[in-house]
Amino acid sequence: VKRGAALGLLVFALAGCNGGTVDKHALKRDSEKVASLATEGELLANDVSKGSSTKYFARVHAKELSRAASDLEDALAERPTVRGIESDVRKLSKLAGKVSDELEQLHLHPTDRSVAESLKQPLMDDADAADELSK
Amino acid sequence: VKIFQVALGILAAIGGFVDIGDLVFNVSAGATFGYQLLWVVVIGVVGITVYSEMCGRVAAISGKAVFDAVRERLGFKVGLTTLIAAQVVNLMTLTAEVGGVAICLQLLSGLPYRWLIVLAGIAIAVVVWVTSFDWIERIFGYGGLCLLVFAVAAVKLHPVWGAVGHGFVPHIQTESPLLYAYFAVGLLGAAMTPYEVYFYSSGAVEEQWGPKDLGLNKANAMIGYGLGGFLSFALMIVGGSLFLDKGIEPEFLGSIAVGAEVPLGQIGLLLAIVGILFAVGGAAIDTLFSGAYNLAQFFGWEWGRYRAQTGAPRFTLTWIVLLVLAVGAVMTGVDPVQLTEYAVIFSAVALPLTYIPILLVANDRSYMREYANGRLANTLGLIYLAVIVVISLTAVPLLILTNVGQN
Repeated sequence: VKRGAALGLLVFALAGCNGGTVDKHALKRDSEKVASLATEGELLANDVSKGSSTKYFARVHAKELSRAASDLEDALAERPTVRGIESDVRKLSKLAGKVSDELEQLHLHPTDRSVAESLKQPLMDDADAADELSK
Repeated sequence: VKIFQVALGILAAIGGFVDIGDLVFNVSAGATFGYQLLWVVVIGVVGITVYSEMCGRVAAISGKAVFDAVRERLGFKVGLTTLIAAQVVNLMTLTAEVGGVAICLQLLSGLPYRWLIVLAGIAIAVVVWVTSFDWIERIFGYGGLCLLVFAVAAVKLHPVWGAVGHGFVPHIQTESPLLYAYFAVGLLGAAMTPYEVYFYSSGAVEEQWGPKDLGLNKANAMIGYGLGGFLSFALMIVGGSLFLDKGIEPEFLGSIAVGAEVPLGQIGLLLAIVGILFAVGGAAIDTLFSGAYNLAQFFGWEWGRYRAQTGAPRFTLTWIVLLVLAVGAVMTGVDPVQLTEYAVIFSAVALPLTYIPILLVANDRSYMREYANGRLANTLGLIYLAVIVVISLTAVPLLILTNVGQN
């Protein structure tokens, strides 16, 4: 039982090791995550702009997405970075912050179709920019 | 009347098939590999059907549920290890399901998450306390049928049906074979999660099945789980048709609901959230009961919902303690979706310890008489035992190597 518990803790520790230095691989992964959050935000904004969502769903889900983008922004700003990719990491961190702010707008105005409409293009552009950084 | 009862039971089994593990792994697998892993769902559904039918038959003929068999066949030490592993995985799953209920309530009401965790805990306790066993099964099973909205969504998203068909043929077409293997193990673990057979066999004892109910057992297991697997297909097709194309990694329960919102609008969204609510709520109750059943059966206590609370006090106390622990764990802020991934992978590790005793008892003619396993049940049982052993040995290495399916 003791061995099992120790193995369990080791697995959690190893699997949870998502921090550490940002290298090219981590930059690619995080760029894909930012692109994913922006694209999902754009889908949600599109549904809100068409009146296809509900007030509470849009409010709660936009907040979840915004918080995830904000967490990525903080993590990218704080983690040490390998040489040569510092500029891209800074760009991605700012981009994650921008995505988070846009999704926060959707969270604050979950029934405002014009706000949602105005957020669609910026979120799509953010997703494209994050995709570029992942290459 | 009998046919009507069978139909009701099957409907409940379809609606009750999907839990938070199936939701997370099927949609994520679709979002990552498109339809390529549909064949794994078929293997998982056949596996859970084979073993559920077996343990339902054992319960009907011998009156013994899974942990009676574990204690008898594995001895105290190995049995205790099995019990501890089962209870840890059960508690993780219960925690994830309670968190899932709170998230769904929040998506419907907009109220603060922490209040809703407490409300979810109280609601589950009240339902378990006041509602009879068969009504619990039916209410959540029928509510879970709202998940059929994902089948409509899958069609409305216009998948490439040729590619969907190709997905039912085992093949690997990826640059990430480890990630593919991780999802395959996760899908099998989610489909064959042990609490389902603990609950199924104990439920058969609760409902006092006898030899005359063997037909009902077969129908429930084969048609109910078979059609329940249809929901898993739909979820994976939605993941592949909507999220893969757009590069979205569905990390939240809300993301899964978006899969119905995009093609079907508000009504699709609401049906999806309500369906997920009933599916995870029902699974929360199943895991809660399973934890109490396991402990009571292993230590020989009085157990069963039909005995009422005072007739089985230690059983009742166990489920109350488990529910309090799960609510407390969700209150710490643990992410139910991430916890689900760990719970499914760890449950895969514990699978052989659950399924070997079932196979042994189902073959024992001193208990089962003429109802012991036939050639087909034994062949399938042994094939699946081999599959289970492989996934149990590879689950944790794959979890580590793929960084919990992240890369």
